[in-house]
This record gives sequence, structure tokens and C-alpha cells, in this order.
Amino acid sequence: MTTKRANNVTLLIVLVTVVAVMTAAMPDQFLRLGNLQNMMRNLPEYALLAFGIMIAMTIGGIDLSGVSVLSLSGVVAAMILSHHQEIPLPTVVTMILAILAALGTAALCGLINGLIISLASVPAIIATLGTNGLYYGLAIGITKGSHLGGFPLAYIRIANNDFLGIPIPFWVFIAVALLLGLLLDKTALGFQMKMLGASPVVARFSGTKNRAVLLKSFVIISLLAGASAVLLTSKVATMRPNYGQDYLLLAVLLSILGGTNPDGGFSSVLGVFLAILALQVLATGSTFLGFTPFFRNFLYGLLLLVVMVIHHYRDTGAWTILKESVFTRTEKSG
Amino acid sequence: MKRPKTFINRVLHRHETYLTLIIILFSVVTANVAPAFLTAGNILSLLRGGAGLGLLSLAFFVALISGGIDISFPAIAISAQYITVRTMLAIDVNSLVFAFVLASAIGIVYGLINAFLITRFKLPALIVTLGTSNLYHGGLLQFLGTESVNVGGLPTAFSDFGRMSLFQISTEQGTLGISLFFVIFVIAIVLTWFILRHTMLGRGIYAIGGDEEAARRAGFNVSRIQYFIYAYVGFLSAIMGIIHVSMIQYANPTNIVGTILLRVIAAVILGGTSISGGRGTVTGTLLGFVLIVLIDRHLIMLGVPAEWTDFFVGIVIVLGVLATHIRLRLERKRLGELVVERAH
Amino acid sequence: MAEALLEVRNISKAYIGVQALDDFSITICEGEVHCLVGENGSGKSTLIKSISGAVQPDAGEIVIDGTSYGTSITAIDAIRQGIEVIYQDLSLFPNLTVAENISLTGFIEEGKRLTNWKRVREIAVQTLSQLEEEIDVELPLDRLSMAQRQIVAISRALTKGARLIIMDEPTTAITAEDVARLFNVVRRLNARGVSMLFVSHKLDEVFQIADTVTVVRDGKKVGDYDAKSLDETELTYLMTGEMLEYKPFEFDPEGEGARSLLEARGLSRENQYEGIDLAIHAGEVVGLTGLVGSGRTELALSLFGMTLPDSGEILFEGTPVKMRGPEDAKRLGISYLPEDRHGQGLFEDQTIADNIVITVVDRMKRFFGIIDNNKRVDTWRSWIEKLKIKTPSALHAVSTLSGGNQQRVVLAKWLAPEPKVFLIDGPTIGVDVLSKARIHDVIQDLARAGMGVLLISDEVSEIMQVCSRALIMRRGRLVAEFRNLRSIDEAEIQAVVAEPDTSEEAS
Repeated sequence: MTTKRANNVTLLIVLVTVVAVMTAAMPDQFLRLGNLQNMMRNLPEYALLAFGIMIAMTIGGIDLSGVSVLSLSGVVAAMILSHHQEIPLPTVVTMILAILAALGTAALCGLINGLIISLASVPAIIATLGTNGLYYGLAIGITKGSHLGGFPLAYIRIANNDFLGIPIPFWVFIAVALLLGLLLDKTALGFQMKMLGASPVVARFSGTKNRAVLLKSFVIISLLAGASAVLLTSKVATMRPNYGQDYLLLAVLLSILGGTNPDGGFSSVLGVFLAILALQVLATGSTFLGFTPFFRNFLYGLLLLVVMVIHHYRDTGAWTILKESVFTRTEKSG
Repeated sequence: MKRPKTFINRVLHRHETYLTLIIILFSVVTANVAPAFLTAGNILSLLRGGAGLGLLSLAFFVALISGGIDISFPAIAISAQYITVRTMLAIDVNSLVFAFVLASAIGIVYGLINAFLITRFKLPALIVTLGTSNLYHGGLLQFLGTESVNVGGLPTAFSDFGRMSLFQISTEQGTLGISLFFVIFVIAIVLTWFILRHTMLGRGIYAIGGDEEAARRAGFNVSRIQYFIYAYVGFLSAIMGIIHVSMIQYANPTNIVGTILLRVIAAVILGGTSISGGRGTVTGTLLGFVLIVLIDRHLIMLGVPAEWTDFFVGIVIVLGVLATHIRLRLERKRLGELVVERAH
Repeated sequence: MAEALLEVRNISKAYIGVQALDDFSITICEGEVHCLVGENGSGKSTLIKSISGAVQPDAGEIVIDGTSYGTSITAIDAIRQGIEVIYQDLSLFPNLTVAENISLTGFIEEGKRLTNWKRVREIAVQTLSQLEEEIDVELPLDRLSMAQRQIVAISRALTKGARLIIMDEPTTAITAEDVARLFNVVRRLNARGVSMLFVSHKLDEVFQIADTVTVVRDGKKVGDYDAKSLDETELTYLMTGEMLEYKPFEFDPEGEGARSLLEARGLSRENQYEGIDLAIHAGEVVGLTGLVGSGRTELALSLFGMTLPDSGEILFEGTPVKMRGPEDAKRLGISYLPEDRHGQGLFEDQTIADNIVITVVDRMKRFFGIIDNNKRVDTWRSWIEKLKIKTPSALHAVSTLSGGNQQRVVLAKWLAPEPKVFLIDGPTIGVDVLSKARIHDVIQDLARAGMGVLLISDEVSEIMQVCSRALIMRRGRLVAEFRNLRSIDEAEIQAVVAEPDTSEEAS
């Protein structure tokens, strides 16, 4: 059994356990349809960002600008939407325009990130830290820090409606997870992304177009933030620029929990997917228990550290030797 | 082909030179547009207000030199500050010395925790300090609450400290002097410089940043040095926390975290310190810090609307980072190195 | 007979599937220069690591000055006894000055807390002058050439009171002049009573400097010999266990039907190579050799599109091409096997299968960029079989393979795109004798099947064994070409390679 599979199985067990505990401890609150739907509706906002961080780690870097790309894209969409009555186009068209504008803005931000990193050889952490401030500053400048509202009803319905009983944002989440899984495990681009993260020099020597892969990767990462912005603005029907400050920690935590190697080269979409579900259940439980957001952050920080320590012991020492002797025989080639 | 080692060449190719030129340029432009810039009052106010950022820049710089990184320093600063204030109120102590001692202890302990996680388990410093940042700050807000203490409730030691200064002179605008905050900052600069330049510990920090394995083989006690580094970061951050509360006369536990990180990192990176470690100077860091402070505080003087200041600071940082790294990349290509596009 | 400083008695060490050392013994006396010679992969590295405490042998004992440490000598023991190892990477600090690199470790040992810059400088200057070397001690280390850095590494060992300095393949990355300079330093050290253990596979250098030569083959000691009593042929025989058999490979580039695949005309790149005219034809194996610094790898990188030449032309199948990166070279049909297998050739922690297919995934795409999994599996399966890569599973990390097998993976990776031209740079470095012979066979088979092969190597004997003609580079220029390799004496070629540069232009 490979490490990846072992990790995913662990996560599945954790998820099932957590759900079982919640159901047992507070069956009325937890199993209520409304609650389940709420969880599914809220999850995608940060889940998409977590996928973004996962991709960033896979290519060997990190992207700290996700939250501000979300802000900026959301602001752009909100600006169009809040003036929908003055725009001489059918509401549906305006909505589509707003969504495209949000995604376009996000893509542009990702492109800028990618260009700074690939053309100027700026390490991703510094580049995205800088652009994070830039995009956020832009969002503040445009909105002067205030809210935007007055969105068309149809737009608000996007995130707040259900399909077959499941909130639309959750369908988006599943679709994104499937697409990313396809990308990373089955496509040539995904393969090249992993190899780039494993070693940029060897990748280059192998004929990979590093620059193209970097650009595409960062655009994808930012598009995820843009999609998240669309879902968010639709759900809460307003937009303010400093939403989601805490999401960075959460996204990193989920990526690590999901088995992503922060040095690059290895990732599991399924792992992050399961980690997201498990953590959402935990977060909901913590709300029922009356935990404050501060305590949640405290616990997330603690959880991140604990998980990394566990990974340390898993990757070194006795466990590895045991694993090798017991599990190697079950491995098939091909 | 080696460049001749003339003085001109050595000066021209140093990062610090470019920085100094830009600072001078910016100052000239600002002074022209807003004569208030060059007054003693303004400059002294800058020295006073910038001391906090300066301390944090020194701290971050030391961590970076060793090849590590620490983004939990804002959380440590506010934690040290708030815990100290609440403790002093609770046990009715009004001593500045006590404040410094307690805050330093907290900062050092938090730093040691960081070091423990990083060295004992060989975990990436960025993620560890992201985790501990939330651990410290979340813990602070959860277990001590979010109640701010304003000037009326603060022990007077802080407001007294905030008024202290050296070399006071009376002018028509009132008494002017060099704030004690700045003095502390200068002491920290000298201390940091001394440690890095004149102790084996400091050379060890540079050595680890150059090649950690070689440092180990050479006999440096890498773990112990790393414990020192992160404890030092915690220590300086804690000092900043006390200065901060003395300056704004307000202890709000949700402060500091969230706003200052980018500026500190920008100051250090623009100062020429490499994110991968081993290269950077105190001088460079100070110049970077001066540049950030100048820009941050004078955009309004230059007529930039308040809501756009963040954006412009962001532009400056991005441009500065671009310039620094493009120069680096061209230099490496000139030396014949194979430069490959990468994410880290 | 001088005192025995270090005695290694009957040590053995096995790794998975490989017996690295087998009942090996060696004695180093005070004040001698001792060379350990053997083919790549013969066990030299393992021996060094056993002596310095980096690796624990399975059996035997290590005796220093008469005191036995059994098999458990630690790094600190070794250092305290004055045994210093200088590995190939030198373990220096590129961001510190020369003076610091030389002196600081001494300060650490003395337990000093403060630095005394005057003393740091003094010690460095003193040690360098003992070696009669002049290097500006205030320079940052990364400004120094490899050869100068070696001097710094030796100086550092000296300041620690080394009695035996072990150097692992010190001459691989430095030019001929630097080798001479290094050897002068060694002689001066020797005169001061410091013993040296040199590990090398370069015979001519061994003869220049050694008092005693110990030959190791496949982990076993072949024997100890007085350097004066040996000659090169004899030594080669001892190292490889066979008389050098030149497998003749004939190809006439001017003959009928000779098709030029890859050609360089007047190719120049500042500080790297100048005025290069060469042609690689379908069906031939062209050898390119020269010392480090001669520009051979730099030229290959340009032929592979990794670097852009400043002037001149590259023609592929007669048409001028401008390659903006290795992707263009790959598309045309040019493969490059890099010199640095670990840093440029393999993704160490990724699977063997993935390492093989990286070069061709973009050719297996179906709709939406999805990789055709059947083609993918077929590709790596067939290459593992064709090149006989020994592994229990293709899904293991490539780092679990031996050096020889790893090299086969890199070979597979670059044969997968079915190239027309193959630039092979140093294919047998760190490879065991068997794999080396097999790789040579593969290279010649490829040429016979119509590929144009350029073999770059710093072993003239390898070139002579495998190629149909040999090109010599010196200081960035092509200075000689040898055909009819069967009828030429290796020493003749060596002479041209090693000839110190005079001011005359290239022929």
C-alpha cells in the first residue's frame, strides 16, 4: 500500500468517525436537513481555495494571494451586479457578464503571479505575498472599504438554491474536484506539473516548457479563487473586500491533511476532498459546541502542527522499515 | 571574465547603493511636493513611529539569514503585549521594567516552541509558523478574550514610556526629542549587528543559511543555533509589542496581526536579503525598512487618497521585488549559470 | 618502513543486492601519498565513508595509530585522530569568505564565542602560505573557481591538524593546469608529514602523484603496488580485469550515403566555446573529449537547445534551426543524456515508470490532454525490458536503483522519443563495470540502427573503445580530430588533450 493510499484510507476513516460521533452526540442538530445543506453550501468557498493551495504545493511553491484574488474578483462582479438595473441588458446577460468578469479578473491575477514568478525568477512565496497586498489594495481602493449590494435575485439564487436536494455550490465543488483529479492524475499537463514540482531543473532538461506550465498552474489556482468569489457573492448577496482572512490557514491545513507534500511532486485530490469534508463536519460540530472563531483558529493551528508531526514519524524511523517489510509484497507492478 | 575590483565597481554592484539612491530620490520628490516632509518634527515622528516596524524587520531578517522563515512574529508581538498588559492590571503592577521582562519571557518561550517544532521534527518553517501564528493568536483571543484596554485603563507606565525621549529641545511646536522607542531600536540594531558579525553564533547563522549540512559537518551546533534564532525573533517581537502599546496607548488583541506582515517582509526582501538564506546585511535591511516607512507614511502627503494607499504600497513592493530579482537573474546568467523557471 | 597511521583490516559492507566491500584491507603510512584506484562503482566511496565514520561496515576493524575502533568509528573519532575527508562537494560555505571557510571550524573546536577577525584572517593567510598558494582571503567563496575551492578545503583540513587527508575524486571537475597546481599543494603537504589518500579513476594523474597504489575491483582488493613499478596498461588490466579490447566501430563520414543529421557551423558562445564546426552523421558514433573547462558540455547544451549560441548556425538534416529550448530539440529528434544524472537527469523520488515517460507524455495525449494509459504503460514496460533495468517494481522510486540501473533509466527516458541524434554526456560516471560495457554496446547498436551519436567523455579509452572518430576540444575550440582509432595509440590522443595551452590558434 502506498503512502498516498494509506493516507486517503486514514482520512476516510476519520471522516466516517467524525460523522458518527456528531450523529451520536447531537442527532437532532446534526442530521437535520437544513444543517447538512448549510454545511454543503458553506464548504466550497474555502474548499476551492484549498484546492488552489494543493496545486501550488504540487508545483513546488505556494500561493498566498488566494484570498485577495477572491476579494478582487468578488468586488469586480459585485460592481457589475449592483448596477444591474442601470445596465441596458437583460438581467441574465448582466449576470453572465459579472461571472465572466470575476473569472477573468482572477485569471488575470493568476497570469500576473505566474509572470512574476517565471520571468523574473521571484520565489512564489514572495511574489504572491506581494501581489496579495496589491490585489487587496486594489479591492479596497475600488470599494473604499465599503459593502456592495443590490444584486439581482436570480444571481442570489445561484448559490442559495438546491438541485436534487443538494446545494448548487456543492455540485460545483464536486465538479471541480473531479476536474482537478482528472487534471493532475490523467492529463499530460498535470503530469508535467508534478514533475516540475519534483525538480524544475530535471523537468527542463526533460523538455518540459517550465514557463508555460507555471503560467497555466497559477492561472488555474487563481481561477479557483475567482469561482469561490462568485459562489460567495451569490450566497451572501453582498461583497466586502476583506472577507475570508482566515481562509489561508484553513487552505494550507486542508492541503497538508490531504497528503500534499509541501516540497512538490505529490498530491492527492481525493485526499484533500476527504479532508475538506472531515473538517467541515468538525467545524460545524465546533459551532454547535459554541466554539468561537478564535478557538477554531487555535484548533486549526494545533491540528496542522499535530498532523505534520505525525507525518514526520510516518516518513522516518521504525514505521518505514515496518511498512517496507510488510507492505512491499502486496504491491503489483503496472 | 571577472570584473576589476575597483571601488566604483564594488559600490555600483551592491544592492545597498541602489536602495540609497531610490531613498534619496523619493525624499527629494516628496520634499518638493510637501515641504512639511523635511521638518524636524516629521522626521522625529517617523523615527518614533517606525521603531516597531524596524524591530520586526530585524527579527525577520535574522530568521531569513539562517535559511528559515518565521511568520508568527506578529502573533507573538500582540500576545506578549496583551498578556503583559492584562497581567499587570490583574496583579496591579505599574513597572515598565516588569513589562519588558514579562513580555520578553513570553516572546522567548513562543520562539522556543517554534524552534522545537522546526528542529526536532524537521518541519518546513513556513508552515510551522503559520500554524503557531494561529495557535498563539487564536489562543490569545480565546483564552484572554477580545476586550481592549484603552488609555484610561492602561497602567501609566506605558503612557509615561511613550512620552520619554532623549535630547529634548523646546521649539514653538512644543518639546521635541528623540523618542526612546527609537533608542531601543538603535540598541537592537547594534545588538543584532554585533551578534551576526562578531560572534561564532552569528557566523553559524550565516553558515547554516549557506549550507546547513556543511555547517553540521563543520561542527556548528545547528539545533542550538536555531533555537537561538527563533527565540531571538520572539524576543524582538515582544519588545515591539510593548513599544506598540506605549505608542498608541491602546491594547487591542486583534491588532498587529494582519497588517504588518507584508511590510516587514517587503522591507527585508527589498533590503537585499535572500529568501533562501545566507545572504543579506543589517545595513540592507535598514535601508529597506527606511524605504517602506517613507513610502507608507508619505503617500498621503503626496496626494494619494486614503483608500488607495494600500494599493500603492503594494505596487511599490511588487516593483521593488521585481527589480531585485530581475537583477539577480541577469547576474546569474552573466556568470554562466543555467537559470531555469521554477516556483520556489 | 614508516609508521602505519591508518590500518583498515578485512572490512566488508553490503547494500541491498550489492556487496560494496568484500574483506578489504589497506594500510596508509605516515607521510605517504596513497592512491586508491578502481573503476566507477568498485567500492571506493564506501571505503572512504567507512574510514571517516559516515558508514558502519558489517565486519572487520579500523585501526588508527595502533588503537582499534572495531567497526564503530564515529565521525568525531576520525576527526580527533586527524583524519579529514574532503568530499567532492567540498562542504564549504559559498556565502562566507575564504578566510572564514578556512578558519572558522578551528574556532568552533576551541569553543570560542566571539570571532576575532584579525585571527581569522591571519590563520587563513598563514595556512595558504604554507601551501604556497595565494588567494585573496576576503573574497566570498562563490567567486572562486572549483580548483581554488579545493585549495580552501585542503587549507581548512590543515588548520584542524589533519594528519591524513582523504580526497574523493578531486580531479574530476578541474582543468589540467589546476590538477598540476593541486598536486604541487599535495607535495608540499607531504613534505610537512601529512599523508594523503587519493581516490581516483584517472590513471595518468595517479602516476604523477602517488607513492603507493591500491587497486580495488568489485569491492575486493586486487593488490598494493609501488607506483613506480606500474604502467598504465598494467594498471588498467588490474582495474578492469581485462585487457582493453577495442570493439572497432567503423564509419566513414565522407563516404557514400553519409547523411549529416546535426551540424554546427561557426558556433560560438562567449566564455564557453568558439568557432565550432562539426557534423554528426546518421550511423556514426562521434567522440568528443577534452578536459573540464574545454567547453564540451557547454557545446552539447547548445546543440540541445538549452542555451542559445551567440553566433553561428545549427543545422538539422540540412536546414538551419533555432532552438529556443530543449522542447524544440526534442521535437526535432535530438536527445541529450546529461552529465549530472542526479541533478539533471532523474526525479529521484518519483517512480521509475514516471521517469521514463516524462519525455513523451505530451505525445500520448487524447482529447482534453488526457494521457492514453495503455501507451504509457507499454512505453515504460518495453523500455525496462529492452534495457534490462533490474527492479522488483516499476512503481518504486528511482532512488532505490543502483547507479548502473539508474543510468539505464535515463537512457530509456531519452530513447523513448525515438531520437535521430543522441548527445550522450558522461554516460558511465559512477556506473559499475558490467553496466558500463552494456551501455557501450547499446550506444553502438543505436548507431548501427541509423542514429547519429555524439559521445562526450573525459576517458579517452572509452572514446577509443566506442567511437568511430574522436574530436578534441581545448579551451572552447576544436583542436584535433582523429580517425581510424584502431591504429592510434591512446597516449597520442592523451597528449593532445593534455597539452598545455600555448598561444597558437586552434588547428
